[in-house]
Formats: sequence, structure tokens, C-alpha cells
Amino acid sequence: MSEYAFRKIDIDAPRGPAGALSDAKAKSGEVRGLVSKGDIAGALNLILTDPPYGDGVDEAKNLTSSAVLLILNSTRTAEIPNHLKNLDPEQQDHLMAYLYKAMGTEGHGGDVSGSVLLTWHEKLTEVAGVGCIVRVMTDRRTL
Amino acid sequence: MSNTLRPYLNAVRATLTAALTLENFSSQVVERHNKPEIEAATSPEVLLHPLIVSRNESERVLIEPSVNSLRLSIAIKQADEIEKILCHKFTRFMMMRAEGFVILRRKPLPGYDISFLITNFHSESMLKHKLVDFIIQFMEDVDKEISEMKLSLNARARIVAESYLATFA
Amino acid sequence: MILLESHSIIIQDVLTDRFEKPSRMDIQFVDFDHVRFHLSTGESKTQVTLSMGIHCWPDLLKYGAREHLQNEYAGMLLDPSQTEPEYDVSIVIDLEKIPSSQEERTALIHKLSLFKATAMSAPFLAAFEEESALEANYKDPAGASQIDVEQSVDAGELKIVRYREEEAMYIQARHDRVTVIFSTVFKEETDRVYGRVFLQEFVDARRLQSLQSAPQVNYSNREPPLEIRHLPGLKNGEDCGYVTFVLSKRHFANPTQAQSTILRIQLFRDYLHYHIKCSKAYMHSRMRYRVAEFLKVLNRAKPEVAVVERRTATGRTFRTR
Repeated sequence: MSEYAFRKIDIDAPRGPAGALSDAKAKSGEVRGLVSKGDIAGALNLILTDPPYGDGVDEAKNLTSSAVLLILNSTRTAEIPNHLKNLDPEQQDHLMAYLYKAMGTEGHGGDVSGSVLLTWHEKLTEVAGVGCIVRVMTDRRTL
Repeated sequence: MSNTLRPYLNAVRATLTAALTLENFSSQVVERHNKPEIEAATSPEVLLHPLIVSRNESERVLIEPSVNSLRLSIAIKQADEIEKILCHKFTRFMMMRAEGFVILRRKPLPGYDISFLITNFHSESMLKHKLVDFIIQFMEDVDKEISEMKLSLNARARIVAESYLATFA
Repeated sequence: MILLESHSIIIQDVLTDRFEKPSRMDIQFVDFDHVRFHLSTGESKTQVTLSMGIHCWPDLLKYGAREHLQNEYAGMLLDPSQTEPEYDVSIVIDLEKIPSSQEERTALIHKLSLFKATAMSAPFLAAFEEESALEANYKDPAGASQIDVEQSVDAGELKIVRYREEEAMYIQARHDRVTVIFSTVFKEETDRVYGRVFLQEFVDARRLQSLQSAPQVNYSNREPPLEIRHLPGLKNGEDCGYVTFVLSKRHFANPTQAQSTILRIQLFRDYLHYHIKCSKAYMHSRMRYRVAEFLKVLNRAKPEVAVVERRTATGRTFRTR
């Protein structure tokens, strides 16, 4: 029996909700520091790597989302394409998912303006293509 | 076109293009039936993640893709009572003619003003990029039309009032 | 046609025709505000009876409509006992006694075609007279103590003309003005919204330099204005509107001016609703056009299928039935 126990491990949540939350807290704190230093590229890179997903980690997801929005809001429009090019495809997909999530929650207490999100969306589609949107649509895991 | 409208329409266009990847898919629940899965909602595994593109609180587009159908709902900007009435009248007028607009849904989704339902049969018999063009042009023109109608109402009211009062002079 | 005409075009046309060549007739028709007319000939072809059924006749009677009609149509107005059944007032025109000159005939026809307007103007004329009387008696209030006394004397009788089922006209004279209040009901949500736009323009239009001499217009929806607030049975729902016109002295300074003011203001309600309906019709045709345009765009998405003539192996063509 014990040799099958590994099958029961939920590999999506290796550390459980508590671990994801503490990770998210640490990350968003770090992002805040990076943004205040002006290191947008570093911040994006950090937050879009292994974001929390799965059930029961809503708080961690929200924390991460607001950290992403903080980055989006503090980036100059002209620099957006450069930052996007430096992300790897998986990070781009995550960013796209966050963009849609932010647009979906707009108007229910969201504090971002639509035009910022739309600008990012436009640039990201230019860089990553339509496939990126398809991957967001088909992704079963929610961010 | 105003500056904020362009990215909005571009985002809708990209999302719609991505979502318009439909294929023929028979119902998994009823034999020999072929239903738009997004409407039937009987098999959750063929529904995809719904996406919202929004410009501001009142203007947004909801795109709900599934394996063989796609539902697109538009919330149109309504700044005041007149625009609300005009928008309601216009969409109602169109939906009563849904027969002609094959992709138009006869009722909008709650919270939205007008909905379209595109199935794989539509995307097979029509050119996909032109379908997308249609949706985009619709969104563009409907705003324009509503504001023009509002202006013409105001202009008419002004002329009517002035010519009536002028007879007293 | 922006402005509405006060006279009845049917009466005018029919009488112009009959004045030339008398013949039998029996015509029933209606005018604004459910006013019914009946034009008929009796035993003889030359005796034309014109009867009118008007919703607010009891109100008009109270404010001297019969006397006013008696003045205007001297010798033609029939006694109440002779009035045609189901109608409120009748006049008879003897085609053998009409004036011979063309100008006089036209004048007479014009006067007859204003039958309804004349009946409706009685309360206005009464109010104008009342105003003059009040003005003559009016003393500038010298001290604060006199104001209370003045106010009670100041206002003339509030005349109510219920010209439609749910809508009424209120006329009141003051020492320096005559206030006319219309209550109107907007049956539909759309009418209500359009009506608000139109009425707002009426209020705003007066700010124009060229329209300074026009009467002052106010409107309120839901809440009836102060002058009539004490009346019982006033509706104050979302669909009601109250429009107040303040006619000042110069609008009825001489009889001609008074006449034209009365004719104009009588038709206010019809004018407003007429233009609301026109706007709706215009919007509708516009939407029809726009929807047809959209349909064209959508049809562009359908690929054109080239029609190829198909033949059998022997070279015969298919016939489509």
C-alpha cells in the first residue's frame, strides 16, 4: 500500500495553502521593494514565476494579483514591449491570465483603470500572439 | 476613433480571434444531437475559461468559448437616461430581427445589452475574419449611432421649443 | 411642418367646397384631444349643421363658453335644446344667406374652422379680464402687514379645464400675469424621457436674446407646482409632467395679440406630444437603416459561391424547377 502513497500527493500544491500564502506574501513584499527601486523587469520576472494556483489559496492569489497590478501601473508605456520580450512564454501566459482576471474584476472594487490593462494587453498580444490567449482560455487552473 | 477605444477594440478582436476555434462536436448527453455546448452547458469539460475585456465599468465584453460554440455579450455605454432608452430600443430592434442576423442571440445575457452566439456551423459557412470584423464594426457603430441619435433628439427639441416660443414674440 | 395649425382643415375644406356648390353630406371626424365633429345637412341641402362634442364642455360652460360662442357665431348658434344629441354644441349655417364676396366668405369659413379653438378660448379670455380687474384694484403693498391681506385678494379664480381624461389645464390670473399650467401624462417610458428633453429645451430656449419676450416656462415632473398643489386628486407619479407658462401683460395687451396667444397655447400639449411621436418615428427609421447596414456587413462574411453550370456526361443541363 505504501508504495502507492505518492499517487495521492497533490503535486499542484506541494506546500498546501499555508505555504502558498507565505510564499505570496514574501513575493509581493519583494516586488514592492523592486518596484520602488525601479526594477520593473526583475519584479515581473519574480511574480510571474510559479504563481499560486489551485483551490483553497484565494488569499495568496489575490495578493499576487495586486502585486502584478502594482507593477503594471508603475511601468511607463514606452517600456512595456521591452519588458514583455524578456519574459519566457510561460511567464507571458501567466501575465495574460492576470490581465483578463483584472479586467473581469474591474468595477467591483478593482483599482486599475481599463486603459492601462488594455495597453498591456495590446502589447502582449503583439509579442506573444493569439496563442497566448488560447492558452489562457484552455487553462483549467485559475490564477 | 478615440485613443481608448482602439486598444479596447483590438483586445476584443484578439480575444475573439483566439476564441473562434470551433469544431463540430456532437452532444455527449443526447445521442444524435448537436447542440451549442455553451448554451446547453451539459458537459463542463468542453467549456473553456470565460474571458472579459473591459474598457471601464459600463463598457465590457464577455466571451465564453466552448468546443463548438462561442457566446459573446456586449455591455454598451449608457451615460444617462436618454442613452439607456435609445440603447434599449436599438438592441431590441435588432434582436427582433435575429432571424436575419444568424449569429445574433434573441436575448442578451443578464447584465449585458446584446449577445451573439456563434456556432461551428456559422464559422464553417462564413469567413472567420469577416465575422470578427462584423462584431468589431458593430461595437464601433453602435456607440456612434446612439450618440448621434441623442444629439438629433436634442437638436430637434431645441428647434421645436424655439419655434413655438418665437410665435409669442 | 413644425407648428400645428389651430383651425380644422376638414371644416375649412368641406365648407369651401359646399359654399360653392351645396350638396348633401354627413361627415364625422375628430380633432385633437378627442374632440368630435359632425358636419351634416338636414332636410335641405343648404342647411349645414356643425356639431361638436368636447370632453371638457361642462368646464367650458362654467367659464362662459356659450356666451363667447354666442358672440362669435351670432345668429348661427343653436339653443341647448336644439343641439344635436350626443354632441355638446351645434351651429347651423344657412348657405342661402352667406355673404357673396369671396373675401367675406373666406373670413367666415376661417372663423367656422376655428370652432373648437373659439370654444376653448373662453376660460382664457375670462382670465385675461380678471387680470385687468385685479390690476385695477391692486395697490402696492405699503407695509409688511398688508402683504397677507393682499395675497388673499391677489389671485383670481383657479380655472380648471379637463381637456383629456387624465390631463388638465389650470388657468389663474394674478395682478400682473396669467399662469397657465398643463398637466400631461406620458404613457410610455420613452415618451417620458423624450418629454423631459423637450421640456428642458423649452425652459432653456428662453435664455436666447431673441426669445426674451416669450412667456416664461417652467416644468416639473412628479411634483405639481405650488399654485395647484392644494387641489385634490392630482397625480404625481413618474409619468406625469407639469408645465407652467407665465403669460405677462404684453401677451394679451390687445385683442389680436390675446387671440393669437390663446390659439398658440391651447395647442401646447398637442404640439409637445406630436413632436415626441415624430422623434420616435425618426429614431425608428434611423434604426431600420442602421440595422440594414449591419446586415450588409454580416453578409460580407459569407463567401461567394460561384455558380457553375453542371452538365451530365451527354451534355444535358440540369433544369431548376
